[in-house]
Amino acid sequence: MKESTISPGLLTVQRVVAIGVLFGIWQLIIASGTMPSMLPGVTQIFAGIGETIVSPLFWEALGKTLLAALTGWVLASVIGVILGLTIGSVRFLDRSSNILIDFGRSFPVLALMPVVIMLLGSNSIMEIVVVGLSCLWPVLVQTIYGARRQESAVADTVAVFRIPVMLRFRRVLLPSAMPFIATGVRISASIAILVAVGVEVISQAPGIGRQITLMQQAQRWDMAFAYLFFAGLVGWGIAALLQLGENRLLKWKRQNDD
Amino acid sequence: MTTQTPTTEATQTAPLLMKVRGMSMSYGEGAQENKIIENLDLDVEFGQFISIVGPSGVGKTTLLRCLSGLLRPKAGTIEVSGTQISGPHPDLAVVFQDYSRSLMPWMTTRENVAFPLQGKGMGKTERNNLADENLAAVGLAGQGDKFPWEMSGGMQQRVAIARALAYNAKVLLMDEPFASVDAQTRFDLEDLVLDLQHKLGVTILLVTHDIDEALYLADKVVVIAEKPATVVDEIITDFGDTRDQLATKADPRFAEARARILVRLRKD
Repeated sequence: MKESTISPGLLTVQRVVAIGVLFGIWQLIIASGTMPSMLPGVTQIFAGIGETIVSPLFWEALGKTLLAALTGWVLASVIGVILGLTIGSVRFLDRSSNILIDFGRSFPVLALMPVVIMLLGSNSIMEIVVVGLSCLWPVLVQTIYGARRQESAVADTVAVFRIPVMLRFRRVLLPSAMPFIATGVRISASIAILVAVGVEVISQAPGIGRQITLMQQAQRWDMAFAYLFFAGLVGWGIAALLQLGENRLLKWKRQNDD
Repeated sequence: MTTQTPTTEATQTAPLLMKVRGMSMSYGEGAQENKIIENLDLDVEFGQFISIVGPSGVGKTTLLRCLSGLLRPKAGTIEVSGTQISGPHPDLAVVFQDYSRSLMPWMTTRENVAFPLQGKGMGKTERNNLADENLAAVGLAGQGDKFPWEMSGGMQQRVAIARALAYNAKVLLMDEPFASVDAQTRFDLEDLVLDLQHKLGVTILLVTHDIDEALYLADKVVVIAEKPATVVDEIITDFGDTRDQLATKADPRFAEARARILVRLRKD
């Protein structure tokens, strides 16, 4: 836990300064007049944030985006872990699916969106599917790595004590791959928010993304940025929560830090 | 000791717990074939402590992997309690050399010991009680909630021994179990294993490269050597039930047996 030598107080100060510097640069650029005039200044954005936070429209949009993002992400995580553990622990499956998975992970899922819209329509199911497809790959690839890395001594132990397959899956394979799975799940959580908002911008399915486009069309750039700010905040919040959960779940992993 | 084994009228027909006949093992095929073990015979009686001693690289680990059912020999038979085995068998438990890897780091010591029992379908309370009992038997009472990585190497190996004991196998196979702990811990663990064997009457088959360890622990020392490996000598030790790290090793018969083994191992 004590990887940094600076005190937490000083760290907070440094972080606040970093944010302050960012605001300063932003304001300077606006003041310099090099940017189009519609770009809002720091104070306008803050006013927008204030306005947004009390608007029921915002909370409804946020709820829709979160629901789609979380559903897609949870589905992708569950499917990715089960599939990944199976593929990673069976050598034959691992070798034969190698190319498919490398292909799939570099495939731009957003480009597939028109097809999904055609199949499912421009609604939240479509959004969940696109989010899920985007989130699946990081989880799947990480889980396969984790399952592959099985120690031979552990495999021998499991064989000697004749541990049944399902028990092995749950109590050996899953926990030993957990550090890798956790990384995949965390990466895909931020992807989930990004893709959900992106899908809403493109497809006009209801949610934060749609609000951003609506505000832009209404020339309310301050509000558009306020929505963007919240999309970022939610992503950051989820990542922080997951990190916390990961630290608790992987208590045994601390052996490597000693 | 041999006197404890169930003695029938004719000692030759005493039921064997393990019987290995003509076992051969090799890797590769045809011209590339690398013979590791050839035509090896081994008898294990109930309650016996057998040490298999041989130089490094002779194929001791391969032999133990065959005996535990992890590897399938190319030829020959391995019988446990009269039936031929074709894989890991519920009558066989193994204590591996690499204790730090064979224990699951995400499980507490209690969970590690109870895990094979869960595999047998035993209920939670029962298996946890059994785990605690066996942890106490190896001197780790009250340490069930610790994780393996919170313990020293010697303590981790005790957990591995407790796990093998709790599994309630008839034969404990040990692959150089004390090779990676310091000398004092090693002596402690040797005495612990002797003590457990006498108390619980388990049969132990221990593989080691350490001649002193082999002699100190065993009722019978099986010397394997040559390439491919085969049994070159068998020595019945007669140091009695109570052994002492100093007195037993100072016994003139100990020195004599050690010299005999050394000569055997030097020949090739």
